[in-house]
Amino acid sequence: MTPAKRMALLAVLMIVLGLPLLTEVYSVELSTALATPQSFDGISDTAARSAALFTEAGKVLTSPRCVNCHPAGDRPLQGETHRLHQPPVARGPDGFGTASMRCASCHQSANYDAAGMPGHPHWHLAPREMAWQNKTLGEICAQIKDPARNGGRSLQQILTHIATDTLVGWAWAPGFGRQPAPGTQQQLGALIDAWIKTGAACPT
Amino acid sequence: MTNMSVTINGKNYGPFEVRDELSMNDFVREYLRLTGTKFGCGLAQCLSCAVIVDDPDGTSHTSPTCVVPAASFAGKSIRTVEGHARNGQLSVLQEAFVEHFSFQCGYCTPGFLNEAQVLLERLTNAPVARAELDTTIRDALNGHLCRCTGYIKYHEAVRDVILADPNRYLS
Repeated sequence: MTPAKRMALLAVLMIVLGLPLLTEVYSVELSTALATPQSFDGISDTAARSAALFTEAGKVLTSPRCVNCHPAGDRPLQGETHRLHQPPVARGPDGFGTASMRCASCHQSANYDAAGMPGHPHWHLAPREMAWQNKTLGEICAQIKDPARNGGRSLQQILTHIATDTLVGWAWAPGFGRQPAPGTQQQLGALIDAWIKTGAACPT
Repeated sequence: MTNMSVTINGKNYGPFEVRDELSMNDFVREYLRLTGTKFGCGLAQCLSCAVIVDDPDGTSHTSPTCVVPAASFAGKSIRTVEGHARNGQLSVLQEAFVEHFSFQCGYCTPGFLNEAQVLLERLTNAPVARAELDTTIRDALNGHLCRCTGYIKYHEAVRDVILADPNRYLS
């Protein structure tokens, strides 16, 4: 039997037995979609529509790509299951690591897929007061609106941050082996914009 | 491909044309044959691969080499374990490691040595109080893994070097 026939037979057997093909195992899953702001037009109550818009945006905010760097403690998280970062690094005084373990020592200006290392020029943790881990969407929403816990930003500045910050944008291009955040940064920006324009109500 | 040159232990290497996927660890070990820099976990979790990076502002820090592309070191100046001894004379830190039997297999030693050297240089610029010294050493060496002697002997060796020159390292 030729190698080609052997591989074809193996593929057929795997399909019959319900086993995943290697190409499926290693392929990057497509990110799930986000609903458009217009798809919420059917909700007549403005506050309810606003809360629904934030709930849709929350699919991104609560994704591992966001929460892992908005941890409740001093250590970043990793992976799809929010496991503690290894090696055991800490946020340090400025969110960029401790004196002996700076984030940029490993995280370069771009993803390095050969080693599975994510990267961005400003790789760092969100401040402790911006932690999203273990919080409900309603709590995250209230926190995002609170200048004391959002870095002193107005809602418009929040929109700019979410819609244009390239570190936020990394969530949709996280490199090999990581599930991108749902939708696109542009779609998320549209949802946040609509949320603000409808009163920035929070889900309960 | 990236065209890169790098200064290692004061010597210029390059230019080399390197693949963008090539890790700094492979570059140092396989291209330059500087095999004192080890390859351990390959995940930046043991830091046996750490080298010293000399920053333009005169400060220094360590960087793992196993998870960092060689190209990102283009134009930089680094130090490896081969650069500590001068004219066959061990550095003060190296001698302290030997005196304290800090290592057995020695695989983690280059990383510890580089990290401890950076700590000494940092303390020279920003001394700490004696009461903070043990915590400072522990924090500095925290990311490095050793599976032979544990960590106490490294810690004690570094502490002895610092205490031997308190005017330089302690406030």
